Amino acid sequence: MLHVVHPRRFLAPQMAVLRLVALGLLMLAPPAGAWAQSAAAAPPASAASAAPGATPNPQAASAPPAATAADAPAAAGTAASAGGAPEPGTDTRGLDQDIQGLKKDVVDLNRDLFVLEEELLFPANTQVAVFISMDVGDFFALDAVTLKIDQKEVANYLYTPREVEALGKGGVQRLYLGNLKAGPHELVAFFSGQGPHERDYRRGATLKFEKGIGAKYLELKINDRQRRQQPEFEIKDWE
Amino acid sequence: MLGALATAVLAASAASSYGLLGHEAPDFALHAVGGSNVRLSEHRGDVVVLSFWGSRCGQCRMQLAALDRSFRTYHSAGLQVFGVNVDDDQGGALEFAHKEALGFPLLLDPQKAVARAYLVDNLPMTVLIDRGGAVRQVHRDFSAKFEPAYLQQLRVLLNE
Repeated sequence: MLHVVHPRRFLAPQMAVLRLVALGLLMLAPPAGAWAQSAAAAPPASAASAAPGATPNPQAASAPPAATAADAPAAAGTAASAGGAPEPGTDTRGLDQDIQGLKKDVVDLNRDLFVLEEELLFPANTQVAVFISMDVGDFFALDAVTLKIDQKEVANYLYTPREVEALGKGGVQRLYLGNLKAGPHELVAFFSGQGPHERDYRRGATLKFEKGIGAKYLELKINDRQRRQQPEFEIKDWE
Repeated sequence: MLGALATAVLAASAASSYGLLGHEAPDFALHAVGGSNVRLSEHRGDVVVLSFWGSRCGQCRMQLAALDRSFRTYHSAGLQVFGVNVDDDQGGALEFAHKEALGFPLLLDPQKAVARAYLVDNLPMTVLIDRGGAVRQVHRDFSAKFEPAYLQQLRVLLNE
């Protein structure tokens, strides 16, 4: 009998360990004196940070911070041998820069891990993402959205005034991210809120779509239809 | 001295076997009575008190009144209070809300999803969440004599 394990559950321990490693790097600071001395001669640690947009590879991504922590004492030794070592405690600005650089490395590493996690959990050939956007919104105050794919409820989201305001300003929210096999599927979205004249309002929109090999992106759009003084709901399939 | 002792006893008795202590408070979004939706994560940075209550529970009403006094005093210092009603029928909660006119929002959790997430096993039950979003204290009962101790715990969290 085949037991299907959800990929997030399967990968959770590995990702937790990698995140712990990232956080642990913050603790790998050399003695403060060495940092202060290294700051005078060595470039900031951020110079060795991972380049944005680099291929997400946990080993490659974790290399710069590890190298940074290991290189700092060596650089301190170089500065001392050159005879130009500043007095201890006089240059804290360099220490701050080193710490900021290290923090940036950790943030970059965490970002790369997040991207890697998403790529593993939602591979492009099965990935389906549903976004929601709202244009104007004079005739409809959004309260909640329920999303069903193939008769199964996959998302139910309540909106706070702050979130509605963000959508009204042009924000796009990713409401759902999941996996679907190739083939025909049906998406149904229910929108509830207050319509014209502050009356309770509930409408649905349906889209039948074909999931191909690549990732599928769908957008729920809420627009105002000025001519009818009513809101309009549509689902757009981004090819 | 007596107050400190009461606080210690209160904390020790309440904290026993509560799995969420020290952990991040589970996020949720709920409808508020006569208002808009409330999402817990939007109040990160405030000290949040969640009070789970039922409309037929006398102690719950007493506690909500006490929390209302605290809320009016410390709201400007960053205190948020949410009363989470767990009744199946929302009629009692709506009636109570209109009658008492509390200063803080009363949220409705008829499906008890939030109550389950917070391991509610008694009413009233109060969860104190610090500014960082971690569960710091829990009280599974309410008595007027413990009110100063509750306030002391709130002040500690507000001063952090």
